[in-house]
Amino acid sequence: MMAIGMVAKGNGWTPKFEDIMCSMDSLGKMPKGAVVEMKEAMQLARRFNRAVVRPYALELDRKMQQDPTYLPWEFVEEANRWGFYTMWIPKLFGGKGWNLGSMIPFVEELATECLGMANLIGVQYFGISILFSTWNVRLIDMICREVVEGEKSGKPCLVSGAVTEPEAGTDAEEVELLSKARVRCHARKVDGGYLVNGTKVFISNGHLSTWHMLIAYEDLERPEETMVCLAVKNGMKGFSIGRMEKKMGQKGCPASELIFEDCFIPDDHVCFNAEQMKGLRRSAKETGMQVIDFVVSATRPGVGAMATGAARGAFQEALRFARQTEVEGKLLVNHEWAQCLLAEMYKNMTLARLTYMECAHINGRYGLASLMNHKPVYYYSRSMPTSFFDRIMPASNRRAITTKLVRKLVMDGQKEEDAMRASGWASLSKFAATDLAMENCRLALELMGRAGIRQDRRVEKILRDAKLLQIYEGTNQLNRLNLFKCLIGPYAPEARVFEE
Amino acid sequence: MRTDLNGELMMLREMAREFAEKELVEGREERDNYPFGPPPDDLLAEAVKVGFFSIMLPEEMGGSARPLSALCLVLQEICRVDASLGAAIFTHALAMEIIKRAGGSAILEDVSSTETSLSKALIAFPSFDNPGETEPEAIAGKKGDSYEISGMVNYLVLGGLAKRALLAAKMKEGGGNSFFLVDLERDGVSISEPVLSLGLHACPSVDLSLSRAKAMLIGEEGKGDLLFEEAVDRLSVAAAAMACGIIKGSFDDALQYCRERVQGGREIVDWSEVRMMLAGMAIRGKVAEMLVERASAAVDGEEKGWQLASRAAALHTQQLAYEVTIDGVQLLGGNGYMKDYAQEKRFRDAEQLQALMGFTPLRKLKYIRRIIEGEPAWAG
Repeated sequence: MMAIGMVAKGNGWTPKFEDIMCSMDSLGKMPKGAVVEMKEAMQLARRFNRAVVRPYALELDRKMQQDPTYLPWEFVEEANRWGFYTMWIPKLFGGKGWNLGSMIPFVEELATECLGMANLIGVQYFGISILFSTWNVRLIDMICREVVEGEKSGKPCLVSGAVTEPEAGTDAEEVELLSKARVRCHARKVDGGYLVNGTKVFISNGHLSTWHMLIAYEDLERPEETMVCLAVKNGMKGFSIGRMEKKMGQKGCPASELIFEDCFIPDDHVCFNAEQMKGLRRSAKETGMQVIDFVVSATRPGVGAMATGAARGAFQEALRFARQTEVEGKLLVNHEWAQCLLAEMYKNMTLARLTYMECAHINGRYGLASLMNHKPVYYYSRSMPTSFFDRIMPASNRRAITTKLVRKLVMDGQKEEDAMRASGWASLSKFAATDLAMENCRLALELMGRAGIRQDRRVEKILRDAKLLQIYEGTNQLNRLNLFKCLIGPYAPEARVFEE
Repeated sequence: MRTDLNGELMMLREMAREFAEKELVEGREERDNYPFGPPPDDLLAEAVKVGFFSIMLPEEMGGSARPLSALCLVLQEICRVDASLGAAIFTHALAMEIIKRAGGSAILEDVSSTETSLSKALIAFPSFDNPGETEPEAIAGKKGDSYEISGMVNYLVLGGLAKRALLAAKMKEGGGNSFFLVDLERDGVSISEPVLSLGLHACPSVDLSLSRAKAMLIGEEGKGDLLFEEAVDRLSVAAAAMACGIIKGSFDDALQYCRERVQGGREIVDWSEVRMMLAGMAIRGKVAEMLVERASAAVDGEEKGWQLASRAAALHTQQLAYEVTIDGVQLLGGNGYMKDYAQEKRFRDAEQLQALMGFTPLRKLKYIRRIIEGEPAWAG
């Protein structure tokens, strides 16, 4: 198996330094301010946890068990008031412009208390990352400014990402599989836009979002070459929200069905299609994969961070229990076996964190946010107020030439091996951290015995919530294959992936 | 094919399988909504009627006097479809085992009378507790010829449904724990709302608050811990059978789904990684099945070391059930996580079952302690 433009690296496995030690490689190249922002984001998340998340997590979970159709607007509005839905939107587009690297420790903190609520905020940036990955600057500007407006007006404007279909879960995440996939979401080119028919499922925040970044296909026989990304807004004729899934966990965050019946999407809502990408150096299929890779390289470490939060939540609850409970005549925390079990949990949590932090370095250097991490760009953006950019950016953002130039710079400028490194490591973090989280939940339940199975002791909820992490953003099985494709395959030219 | 399963047991297994398919598949999701849906009274009443709650009782007490292997077969078939009913049967059986060992045959007779109502036919019991591990929060004192209990009992299984509960309490005067039968409908007993739990939703539990509640001593004062451990020796293999049933159900549904679901242009059963996962599930299931069969035969035959065989079967099979059901969800992808499919329920149920009869790590430590103190580690 060979990646585009790559050459075999001989018979041995001799990775480059930055392949295995990207964090070390990026020392000194990343702006110091980015670290400060990470600390600040963690502190902010902790304040939010104390004020909002921990007091409400069990109640919301219980409420959802009682009424699975309940929509937690009160939480979304609170998060909106705290400014979380615009925090990581760059100032160029009206947002607060926090460094993207600060989002994942923020997410870990929230996930420590409630994965469902962490997702209610985190998924916003899944939708936005799809939008950004198309590098359609005009639409990025338009939609992000609506999100900012939603914050000002107190009416949250959320963005969902609509990829999964009833017959295409794993298939929709990998172009090599798309060619054989049973995708059904059809975008037929008509005068002035697209006519969309089909259904998307398991769309996180679907019921709560105003905008939906829809992935559809012009030709269902050749989806890998005809992928389009459309910005769909609530109220568009032919678009409706269907059922809300009854999930095992992460109940607070709705998983929605989106239905398209002869839904007309005008040309000015097309984030990308093959036509727009003409002139770039990659083929339509390769560009489709590049867009997917931009997204998942950013979002899978986010899942890793959520998993770290779950691993930590389980650890914290187990420790709390061990300090309070006497077993066979002495505190549980004073049993040697329990100390070793807690140490094992601490290890799992820490390893999970190390994987997503490595990804943060890689993304900071080579990923979606790399442009903003060049020190001059970073400090300029950080020092200037959003109002400054508001005066100068919208006009240039709206011009077609801007999108063209940015795409040339970012998409053509990205080297294959950099994309592969980011994607492979993102997969590593995703499946490693989520497996470690599940292991911690199991250990916590073992340690807590009868107390652990009660919803009011929190750990059973963490277990239910965490299981989803092994499934969404590509199943852990797909992510293992993607790691092979990106990090091992280039050194094994005879290997074929997704061709069994 | 099993050669040691006599005709009577095979018939019983068929009966349990038929019951599970007819009575448990439909309505499983709705029952799992409890406590936010209707309580599972009708199903439990039906299970009482067909005799699942009195399999091992002597015939003169209205039971069918079958060996433990019979209970294991029934639990396996039932838990294949819905472990909540299995947990109710198990809890009742564990309580009855303790009462039987304590010589309370009059109580057993009353419970299993065919005339009895559902609430009288069930004995509530905190089956996720080992009273010897964490000190009971209930304290008993003698009052005349009788006893009174005050304090808390957490996670009393079947507590909202049964009229009577078997509870462990420590004696006011000190000494070991003792078991008592308490009438939950009498003064001094207050019952919480149903406790929301990880799994086994249709096997309801409550917390109990007791204030000088009248209680009947079961067995001798201070012998509760011993009674409990002896009952666990026998009933552990029944817990293993429940885990084994869940494993089988999880595998069967996963295999069926993998044969139907297409990704990458082929049924996912043809992806070798999927096959590897299915193989892991099937092998674990086979090991669990053999383990339960052998251990239950060892218990029934009182073979050398049957007590540890029973306990090892439970500890190992419960671990296997977690490993299998987590993959059972995974193989169905997003669908496996949704309540429309039974896989997520099996995963929750399996993980809850590991907490039966006390802390898993302590059950392991107890196991090795008994070997260190002289019980044979091996049958041969």
